[in-house]
Amino acid sequence: MTSATETHGTATAVRARELLDRNPASRAERRFGILFVLPALALVIVFRIVPLVWGAGYSLTDYNGIDAPSYIGLQNYAALATDPAFRDSIVNTLILLATLPVWIGLPLVLAILIHQGVPGGRLFRAVYFFPAVLSSVIVGAIFNMVLRYDGSFNAMLGSLGLSPVDWLGNSNTALFALIGVQLWSTFGMNVLIFLAGLSTVPEELVEAAKLDGASTLQTWRHVVVPSMVPIIEFATVATTIGVLTSMFGLIYVLTAGGPGTSTTLPEYLIWLEQGRMNRPGYASAISIVLFGVMAVLALVQIRIMTKNAEI
Amino acid sequence: MMKTRTILLAAAALAGLATTAARAEDATLTVWDWKSGDPVTAPYYEKVKADFEAAHPGVTVNYVMQPHDQYYTLLGTAIAASRGPDLVLVHGGSQAKERVGAFVKLDEAIADIRNDVVGWGEFADAAGAVYAVPLSIQGFMVYYNKDLYTKAGLDPEKAPATWAELEANCAAIKEKAGVACFALGNKEGFGADFFLSALAANGWTDAQQADWAAGTLHWSDAPVKAVVAEWLETWKTGWYSEGANSTLKFMDEYESFMRGENAHTIGLISDVAHWKQFDEFLGADKVGAFPMPAPTPAAEGPVRMPFAGGIGYAVTRFSPHQDLAIALAKSFAAPAAMQIFFESAGAIPASTKVDTSGLSSPSAKVVLALLGCCGASIAHNNMSTAEVEEWHRQSQLLFTGETTVDGAVTRLDEVQAAAKKK
Amino acid sequence: MATLGASEKRIRWLIAVPMALLAISCIYPLVFAFNVALKSKRDYILNRFSLVADATFDNFRLAWVQAKLADYFVNSLTVTVGAVALLLLVSSLAGYALASLRFPYRRAVFLVLLAALMIPVQVVLVPFYRTMIATGLVDTRIGLILAYTAFFLPFSIYLMTAFYARLPRELIEAAKIDGASLLAIWWHVMLPLGKPALFTLGILNTLYCWNDLLISLLVLQSRRTLMVGIAALRGEYTTNVPMLAAGVVLAALPIVVIYVIFQRRIVAGIAVGAVKG
Repeated sequence: MTSATETHGTATAVRARELLDRNPASRAERRFGILFVLPALALVIVFRIVPLVWGAGYSLTDYNGIDAPSYIGLQNYAALATDPAFRDSIVNTLILLATLPVWIGLPLVLAILIHQGVPGGRLFRAVYFFPAVLSSVIVGAIFNMVLRYDGSFNAMLGSLGLSPVDWLGNSNTALFALIGVQLWSTFGMNVLIFLAGLSTVPEELVEAAKLDGASTLQTWRHVVVPSMVPIIEFATVATTIGVLTSMFGLIYVLTAGGPGTSTTLPEYLIWLEQGRMNRPGYASAISIVLFGVMAVLALVQIRIMTKNAEI
Repeated sequence: MMKTRTILLAAAALAGLATTAARAEDATLTVWDWKSGDPVTAPYYEKVKADFEAAHPGVTVNYVMQPHDQYYTLLGTAIAASRGPDLVLVHGGSQAKERVGAFVKLDEAIADIRNDVVGWGEFADAAGAVYAVPLSIQGFMVYYNKDLYTKAGLDPEKAPATWAELEANCAAIKEKAGVACFALGNKEGFGADFFLSALAANGWTDAQQADWAAGTLHWSDAPVKAVVAEWLETWKTGWYSEGANSTLKFMDEYESFMRGENAHTIGLISDVAHWKQFDEFLGADKVGAFPMPAPTPAAEGPVRMPFAGGIGYAVTRFSPHQDLAIALAKSFAAPAAMQIFFESAGAIPASTKVDTSGLSSPSAKVVLALLGCCGASIAHNNMSTAEVEEWHRQSQLLFTGETTVDGAVTRLDEVQAAAKKK
Repeated sequence: MATLGASEKRIRWLIAVPMALLAISCIYPLVFAFNVALKSKRDYILNRFSLVADATFDNFRLAWVQAKLADYFVNSLTVTVGAVALLLLVSSLAGYALASLRFPYRRAVFLVLLAALMIPVQVVLVPFYRTMIATGLVDTRIGLILAYTAFFLPFSIYLMTAFYARLPRELIEAAKIDGASLLAIWWHVMLPLGKPALFTLGILNTLYCWNDLLISLLVLQSRRTLMVGIAALRGEYTTNVPMLAAGVVLAALPIVVIYVIFQRRIVAGIAVGAVKG
């Protein structure tokens, strides 16, 4: 299916190019093409690229936000290397990234089930997105009560005869509790994306597999999921960026980065250094490292997006 | 024609947006805080604004209440860019001291009120120059639930005066009243801050407190290490409920105290988590207060309460109206406004001109008496912010068993050394 | 799908049970927030979990009037509408050019725009704020509109480019042969054709702009948007949770309503962008 699409796409592109080469208006295209992307390019460069370069500059200084910064070379980066909080934040990030299969797999399964007409599927599709519209402040406040030591989750465990766990106050569980809550509050978006993808899987392929005697699970594995590869890639990268940059609100409300540094992610550390500890130079260095991690992911994403946009 | 008109209209609309959003006239003073919208402090803020605008025709006071969690991030960006508020609220201690470079030195301007207001030290630089006008006094008291004392067979009117008495009370409360001795919330690490300052107040000498502020008393030195060890010891003895690491100090800890789930809490004397709030919830006659004794007192004499300037207003260096801003900062400390702050929020004001004689709360009387005689420094205000953050972390790891007292003080020594080098 | 055997049907009902539980958990926070918003402060401290006994709408009134959420609502509405309109125009124009016009450095431009996806605001806090000041846009609503546009633009451009790339070339070529200018083609042909994708982007960007906190905090310091107003309800020490909950319910309501009404079309719109069919 994928290869058929690509062949089709390539054919379109070739035809388009032929048409363009013959078209006398291509000089106008050149001029207007640039003109049309100019507003977008200007906005992105002024408000995003320039600040990034500027911030990279700060990371090479001892800037404290008050006195004029002086150049200290790579000292901030050297300090990062020996900062246990930073080291822990990187380890936590790796643990977080290791849970990505769940972030993708769970919504994928849910989307397939809804697509296959599980009873109540249309209602589920509407409702699963609800947590995503709530601010993390309220999500955090609620799960604070659910997960605290004398909270409702432990009460439930107690009624099953299990002993209580301090989910948010124990270094072994706090990060996973945090990840679980964030997953719960954002999985609806991926369900939507996968549902959209499923609507493009040709029905005939599924039917043909069934006629060949494939079980439901086999059909999923050999027909449905393979034809979803591009969208799974897309969702993976989008989710990765999301988890690396949008967990501050929950961390702040649920764990404040602790116990110790067990739920401190780079994003939270940047906030701490920038604000309460008033070290923008050092915070910039962490920012640049975080950007570097994301840029590596960006390479993957750009490859996928370029492919998808046929450009 | 039609098109031109559309474009013109659009341009006009955009221009309209830009001008309506433009900065107001020169005579607007922008004040940043995290309190002005709070119902209990709102009357105070309104009073200051009304009085100031009446006294300075043409001047407008504009309060901008910032979300507290982003406050110092925003203040940092404003200072870095030299643009933003004229007047900013800051916490006394390290948050103020590490930013004095961005504020206007006030010594001359406040000379006339210097003796009427207390708490200047928390807003001074190393040389003693003052950079903010204190609004409130912050201090740390132990509040207790008298009903639970009765239930534990203790005399509710007899507050413990020594560490040994407190330990005995805790044992009785645990055994007979069946509740935890102390409410403790340490999710943000504030529980550990309060504990440190409460124990240091009577466990350290004044000279040691001064060394601490200068960074020459180290975490591994005996007086400090003793406090860290006691933090762990009280946890092991079972003073606190399970789950302290996942309990917010504000307000989960205090709410649980108010529900009667614990017998004591280390509370504040400013506008929340204080006698007024507890009185209103439990009844004034059911709340007692005492300063935290130390296991090994550093000095003879009455037990002291750690207190110092709480929050205060600083004038930014980039303010185009510095003189007006200084005048406004001083009006925040004016006795008439302070009186409202005190009556509506129950905050102990920094101005000594405020009439507190109308108070009937027994625990408030204990607080006021201590203010007059027996004060000590707030140790955690005199740590660098880097040390504060690390103490938050280590205090939690001590509870989870991931570090030891030795491990914690070693790590804290490193952070202290790095912070002082800066 | 094919007709099902009885056993498979039974399995489906079994599967629906955990899915329904998950769905309940998704509705729970809104119900919870609403329940809390109806409680008095004291009632909340004493009975956090129980159903409200003595419902009061005071918190909604307090949040709306005293916490000035009514004013902030107008600000949020202005900047959201402005930013979404600008986003749709700019991304559709750029998407059209990137997908169907041939011009130098086209690929490079696309790469630069996508790379911006990786720069979250917290990474560039101070320089971003200084840029806003340098451009004279700080504390203006137009500044926030432009900032939102810059931040949410890359994804929008990607979706529009992918969408336009799938349209049959013949449509554009036909318009060209008729002698239409490229700008006119965009306005009369590409914008209307882009409707499904623009619709999805409209909804998603509305959600992003409406729920943003940090960019708005930095740019619009003396005026407030709704989310900033709500965040400010969380004080240093005390939080009036019932009032906060009332604010959250008020702020979430428009988005929930929009989403429930349009969810089918959102799915369709994502389908066109994220997948190549």
